[in-house]
Amino acid sequence: MWQKIREGLNLRIGLTDLVDSSLKEHRVPSDTNIFYTIGIVTLVAYFIMAVTGYFLLMYYVPHTDHAFSSVQNIMTNISFGWLIRMIHIVASNLMVALVFIHLISIFFMGNYKKPREITWLAGGLLLLVTLLFCLSGYLLPWSQRSYWATTIVTNIPTAFPVVGEYLANVLKGGEAISGVTLTRFFSLHVGFLPPVFMAIVGLHIFLVWRIGLSVPPFSKSAEEEKPWTEYSHTTYAESYPFYPHFFMKEVSMVMLLFAIIFFIISFFPTMFIPEAANTPADPFKTPADIKPEWYFLAPYQMMKLIPNKFFGISIQVIAIFTFLFWPFFDTGDEKNIIKRPALMGAFIILLSVWFALTFWGRYS
Amino acid sequence: MQRRSFLSMIFAIIGSISLGSLAYPFLKYLAPPKAEIKAGKQTIRKSDVGDAKEILYQNTPAIIIDRPGKGLIALSRVCTHLGCLLDYDKQKKRLICPCHAGIFNLEGRVVSGPPPKSLTVIPLKVEGEDIVIG
Repeated sequence: MWQKIREGLNLRIGLTDLVDSSLKEHRVPSDTNIFYTIGIVTLVAYFIMAVTGYFLLMYYVPHTDHAFSSVQNIMTNISFGWLIRMIHIVASNLMVALVFIHLISIFFMGNYKKPREITWLAGGLLLLVTLLFCLSGYLLPWSQRSYWATTIVTNIPTAFPVVGEYLANVLKGGEAISGVTLTRFFSLHVGFLPPVFMAIVGLHIFLVWRIGLSVPPFSKSAEEEKPWTEYSHTTYAESYPFYPHFFMKEVSMVMLLFAIIFFIISFFPTMFIPEAANTPADPFKTPADIKPEWYFLAPYQMMKLIPNKFFGISIQVIAIFTFLFWPFFDTGDEKNIIKRPALMGAFIILLSVWFALTFWGRYS
Repeated sequence: MQRRSFLSMIFAIIGSISLGSLAYPFLKYLAPPKAEIKAGKQTIRKSDVGDAKEILYQNTPAIIIDRPGKGLIALSRVCTHLGCLLDYDKQKKRLICPCHAGIFNLEGRVVSGPPPKSLTVIPLKVEGEDIVIG
């Protein structure tokens, strides 16, 4: 039967030809490491979020009177509702971690350099969209944490003079967090961000495929050394077919992702669900130690340390823009970061500061 | 059996079990949640019924009809064809489905149209001034 289906598809869409030309004949450098698979693992994490998200939508009610109780209903009454919501929560945190790891490894290997500047920019935008997903997502359960963490974040634009107040009110849909904010964030989370994310992912993958996978700078078969003056698909001194060699590497990393998700759900179920996430939102009482998610702890701690709100937020905005457009500033040919001690030093210091602020924010 | 085909078979079995154990919770999640059904009997004042009264019996729309010369009857209002709710035609003494024009008599039996079977008759007892349904 399979043979017949294959023959039928071959006759109509040229399946074998498609698989051969786009998977088997597509070459990847033979010295890629596991960090090269993080991109696809992140995409799988996104699909896990999408599927579990659709399932959660079946019982979730985006209304201030019912949001919290509908989430509790999913967790306690609906068959396996707890599992689907836990996968959604854990996968979302892992997805942020994966995007960070992906970007750090690309930066460390200098693979953002010419001709991959747009690929980097798309990747950086995907990090921002992922963070927006998280931000809009954690208001939805309408818990104390949802309410107060969103109150803090939506007030950040007030640091900007003149337009700040207006921006914050547009974000909230009023003076304070209310049902309007909930429906705004809900529509952002399920309606606006997914197509934006997929469009940027499409561009990112197209570029990776079109230009070809980069080569680690410390590998034996360094990429062609001639300068890029016109478009050319990258060729490699030593390479193997994308399918099955690299594909199997990706599959094993995806399996590892699933293993980590189920490990956390089984052994650390409350890792991403603090007490304030299990208490319904109370607009008249701010919880004693309200803290944002781990990935927002560094900017949160920075805002605590810098008394001038405008100064604090400006540093962060400048940092984001520098990060996004870094390939356009760093245009030298040298990819190997080990041969660039100043950049490596700055990179390690920045990373250490980020970790330090995160831990400081967590335990302060 | 060759080692390659043996390993493929083992891989297929383990893969199917893993996939099945992941799919099971998702399919179970789709099962409708248990609705709270008011079990037992329901009492209505006889004077409230008049010619006919629409009620909700165990989460199902029903109707109590006072048939001239034959007394009271309680019928499900759910059409046995495709589940639309029947309207009571007082003039012609029949129940009509607005969706596909199925017609039932006041005993709940099909008179015409596509419904395949009679309506469910709900047990009813008159106790003094009260009607006990169920």
